[in-house]
Amino acid sequence: MESKSSMPSPSLIDQQVFPGDVVLDMSKITSQTIKLGGGLHQDGDLISVTKAGVMRFSKPNKYWVESSHKQYVPSAGDNVIGVVVDARYSINFYVMYQNFSVDIKCSTLAFLPVLAFEGGTRKSIPKFERGTLLYLRVVKADAGMNPELSCRDASGKAANYGPLKDGLLSSPTCPVLESLGKKIAFEISVGLNGRVWVNSSTPPAVVLVSSTIIQMAQQDESLLHDQLHIV
Amino acid sequence: MEFVNPEGLRLDGRRPMEMRQLRAEIGVVSKADGSAVFEMGNTKVIAAVYGPREVQNRSQQSNDQALVRCEYSMANFSTGDRMRKPKGDRRSTEISMVIRQTMEACILTHLMPRSQIDIFVQVLQADGGTRSACINAATLALADAGIPMTDIVTSCSAGFLNGTPLLDLNYVEDSAGGPDVTVGILPKLDKVTLLQMDSKLQMETFETVMQLATEGCKAVASYIREVLLENTKQLESRRGV
Repeated sequence: MESKSSMPSPSLIDQQVFPGDVVLDMSKITSQTIKLGGGLHQDGDLISVTKAGVMRFSKPNKYWVESSHKQYVPSAGDNVIGVVVDARYSINFYVMYQNFSVDIKCSTLAFLPVLAFEGGTRKSIPKFERGTLLYLRVVKADAGMNPELSCRDASGKAANYGPLKDGLLSSPTCPVLESLGKKIAFEISVGLNGRVWVNSSTPPAVVLVSSTIIQMAQQDESLLHDQLHIV
Repeated sequence: MEFVNPEGLRLDGRRPMEMRQLRAEIGVVSKADGSAVFEMGNTKVIAAVYGPREVQNRSQQSNDQALVRCEYSMANFSTGDRMRKPKGDRRSTEISMVIRQTMEACILTHLMPRSQIDIFVQVLQADGGTRSACINAATLALADAGIPMTDIVTSCSAGFLNGTPLLDLNYVEDSAGGPDVTVGILPKLDKVTLLQMDSKLQMETFETVMQLATEGCKAVASYIREVLLENTKQLESRRGV
């Protein structure tokens, strides 16, 4: 979204804004071009806010509203953990199912092309069941399309992407892993969509690690720093 | 029955143009994408928003806008006499529809095509004005979920009893059978998205009553702004900015 306009009133930058607030009036146009980011909406001559948050500005001409929401919005390059929802596929390219459907906790299901694996050919399509966990990379995330995923890194290698076997999936948010790793050996995949998968040698260790992470996530961040020493 | 006594006070001690106390809390349902509790005096309502998410019923999917769904229900313990009501009774279906239409007016549905937004509102305590409280709670929950809106919708009711316009009716005043005007507005754009009235009212008095309800909506709007401001501040301090 690009538009020509004057600077917004500087007083609004880094201030709290609410849905409906008008931050810019385009009728007072100067020659400068500006770029609008998330949370801003152009309606005729007026630029208004659509989300509650803080107005941000980045030089030279970018404006957006910084806000927090629980829902994941995919963006290209993100590493995420997904659950296979539909594993049917066909290599006959005249019919449907050229993609696996994967739930990555965003507003629509994401597509994983059946050939998007390391050395993917028609003969090497992996067999997944419904509910299989996958560590994936978001390749395309355009408005109006289902996001596209891949099990390869940019150079075509598997690079730790792929199915996650056993273990336990949870969805916490926190930075305690290093301290935990000093005590217990465990395997972890952290997705940008808020999902965390943990595996270890024994089930009790898996439960211990994941419940510690979940508990930590529930603590207030100020408390969290004290807790780090205890662990 | 006397609803305004000679001293000019109502049954619950308010003045005719006085609102009940407002209280709101954001993020009360941990599993939901957005949630809020809204209280207007003794009326207490909880709202949870899920989405935008995959459309459950494919035939309802639309390629140019999001599908908004709303479900209103009343807890069995919300009223004085505990009654087991069937789930889809006419009253709650009607209120669900009213809330859905009101919220649809402010959500930018065209930004989220092929998805659905679910709004669940439940009345925990009913003391008149549940419709308004539900709309206010739903607005807060939508803002918490980060769903793009043109403006916040706020709602308030007003009535006309004993020849006096009364703001924000409680249960006793509501069930007196007098006119009950519920108004929902977009305060920044100054537009009306909801206008309902039970019983009849003269044209001139209707104007004043509606004006009163609109003033009430604006008061609610400034309170909701305060709550959102507090929430944003908290989020900022948690990030350590």
